[in-house]
Amino acid sequence: MRLVVRTIKSKLNIWAILSLIFIAIILIPNGLIAVNVFTESNENWQHIKEYLLKEYITNTVILLSFTALFSMMIGVSLAWFVTMFEFPFKRFFKWALILPLAIPPYIGAYAYHGLINYTGIIQSTLRNNFDVTVNQDYFSIMNNQGAIFIFSIFLFPYVYTITKAFLQNQSSSIIENARLLGSSSFETFFRVILPISRAAIVGSVTLVVLEVLNDYGVANYFGIQTFSTAIFRTWYGMKDLDSALKLAGALMFLVIFILLLEKFSRGRRRYSFSTTKVKPIQPKKLRGVKAWLLAGYCFLIFGVAFLIPFTQLLYWAFLTFESVYSSEFIQLIYQSVFIASIASILIVIIALIIGNYTRLHKSLLTSFISRVTTLGYSIPGAAIAISIITIFVALDGYLADLYQTLQMEPVIILRTSLVMLVSAYIIRFLAIGYNAIDAGYEKMGNTYTEASRTLGFSTVKTFFKVDLPMMKPAIFGGFILVFIDVLKELPLTLFLQPFNFATLATQAYKYANDERVHEAALASILIIIVSGIFIFVSHKLLEKEPA
Amino acid sequence: MFVQIKNLQYQYKNAAEPVLKDFSLTIEQGEIITILGESGSGKSTILRLLSGLETPKSGSITINNDVIFGGNHVMPPEKRGVGMVFQDYALFPHMTVEKNIKYGLKKMSRREKQQRMEEMLELINMTSYKNRYPYELSGGQQQRVALARALAPAPSLLIFDEPFSNLDANLQIKIRDELRGILKKTGITSIFVTHDQADAKAIADRVVFIEKGVIKQVGKPEEVLGCASLVMWANS
Ligand SMILES: Nc1ncnc2c1ncn2[C@@H]1O[C@H](COP(=O)(O)OP(=O)(O)O)[C@@H](O)[C@H]1O
Ligand SMILES: [Mg+2]
Repeated sequence: MRLVVRTIKSKLNIWAILSLIFIAIILIPNGLIAVNVFTESNENWQHIKEYLLKEYITNTVILLSFTALFSMMIGVSLAWFVTMFEFPFKRFFKWALILPLAIPPYIGAYAYHGLINYTGIIQSTLRNNFDVTVNQDYFSIMNNQGAIFIFSIFLFPYVYTITKAFLQNQSSSIIENARLLGSSSFETFFRVILPISRAAIVGSVTLVVLEVLNDYGVANYFGIQTFSTAIFRTWYGMKDLDSALKLAGALMFLVIFILLLEKFSRGRRRYSFSTTKVKPIQPKKLRGVKAWLLAGYCFLIFGVAFLIPFTQLLYWAFLTFESVYSSEFIQLIYQSVFIASIASILIVIIALIIGNYTRLHKSLLTSFISRVTTLGYSIPGAAIAISIITIFVALDGYLADLYQTLQMEPVIILRTSLVMLVSAYIIRFLAIGYNAIDAGYEKMGNTYTEASRTLGFSTVKTFFKVDLPMMKPAIFGGFILVFIDVLKELPLTLFLQPFNFATLATQAYKYANDERVHEAALASILIIIVSGIFIFVSHKLLEKEPA
Repeated sequence: MFVQIKNLQYQYKNAAEPVLKDFSLTIEQGEIITILGESGSGKSTILRLLSGLETPKSGSITINNDVIFGGNHVMPPEKRGVGMVFQDYALFPHMTVEKNIKYGLKKMSRREKQQRMEEMLELINMTSYKNRYPYELSGGQQQRVALARALAPAPSLLIFDEPFSNLDANLQIKIRDELRGILKKTGITSIFVTHDQADAKAIADRVVFIEKGVIKQVGKPEEVLGCASLVMWANS
């Protein structure tokens, strides 16, 4: 008994209490979706289940599988070339090939649509200069193939960066052995590289797949029925929150299935990067045609996935600058920066608290908590949005009762405030901030904190006097990562933003959806440039870091 | 007795066996104790239990008649008045030597803090280094600053976890003697942990030889070391 009292007393500190509250906030929406799966369904749901669900599943699965395949082919091949060979302009391509990540797929989607539709530059050039009119069926990307193309070219950098980082951390002996045994580069690739990097590849492709599941912008713009678009349509169009929640439940099953698939197919190895690098792989110098072929391939991918859409958007942005750039546009920038800052600051604070708790008290409970913290990122925005709105509607109900009993004017209606949107951001992006902060804690270690405690300071005071100052780089890194992600975010913002609030992302999307692709460019370019700069800087920092 | 450790029992959460099953030890005021044992024998664990960084399953610890652990009373590390010098020194990298030493001085006026800090710098012979940052110091200097920082708040007990293991051999001998001088001058009660018999011999009033968390022998360095060297030699 004594022991129990003591254990509880020693465990119940401010870090534990706050962490558990945050975890509850993350778990409640998920719980809601799970519970709703088992509730009585209405007619609408019967209809959806009978006639529509099959299409959603088919489309979603087609998009997922082909995007996974293509992004894997592009990402792994590039990672292989860049690590194993020397060829012209390799130093440039090494980081330039990450840049497509700066273009959110929904922006890429309308950039490409505008580029190749009837009035776009390709068709008009053909028409005006060569008098060629093409069959429109071949020049439309608003279909499944088009979406797969868009997702693959803008998401492959996940596979590229993670696989490249993994390969660069491998000892050269693995490859040298294969070479000594007389394998050609090609054989080495299939017999050595591919098997050893399986876990890294599977892990990164899973990220791509989760991004595709999260997508609403591309699918909706192209008119493809996926889970995400269906959830929003059921809710906005049919005003049927209940069925939307049920769809979210089905979507969650798909997510769980994918995560399990990842777990089993990555094999026993996790893609941990060993720190003791024996001797890094020495790239083989290529000459002549082979070298230029590789450079050409890299340039092709870079052109299609970044240069072309970027140039096109830049051109449109100049074209429409006068009409788009106004005080309202500045307001838009201000609101985007404001909401992204608020969300990032909150996320970093929450991550610092949970991270501090889990590192100072290692137990089953804390490893569960770290797991849950990283869970949010796997949940598609549509599912988060629908469960958050359900919860806030209920909360507003309670609040209304409260105001009535207290006989006062309503102070705030949560549903129409930024609170709802920020909560959704926290659930979805906490994982990103947490990973950065947790890595920071890991790097710092526990001794400084312990030293401070033996010098007479509580964990709280130590946190402010020692931990925080030492964690500055991690805090800054985490903040930037989350900031960029919030800036690009579409589905949550689109559906949870209050009336007369908009961000660069949602405004760009609205323009594009109204067939005003040119006007969408300025906001898009801003998003891309901010993300691009960040990608460039973080790449340079990583390069500099001693091995 | 100044420090009384009674029947401590401790097991790490993910470990199969307890590190300490029934550990007891008493220490007199002003005494310098060395706990000698092979790597993995539980030396660091004992220190962490004393400083409060880990909590024993059962047993009790009193220092100067204050119960710092016992029954369901667990005093947190910050209240124990046990100073610790860490193996890797753990000097705060974002603070100068001066700030590091002043860190643990709490209920003092500014003047008193300054005075105490100067005093400590003199004690370790580093008065001209107060504005340096830890990374601008050599290993031996860092070690001395760590000592000054731990000594400054005048803890009732000072503990050292393998304080010489990061120093090269020459420096080790020099610092060892110097350290004993400083400790004897301040009259502080201290515990050293080491796996090096020469260290134990040079610094200790009394050596506690442990094996797998169990005390095998206690006594004057000359008495214990003969036996210890036999055991350690046999095991190596
Ligand atoms: N955090 C920990 N978790 C689990 N086991 C530990 C931990 N720290 C130490 N141990 C184990 O406890 C035993 C004693 O460790 P320690 O007190 O560090 O020994 P020493 O300081 O004498 O080398 C060792 O077997 C070690 O592996
Ligand atoms: Mg040790």
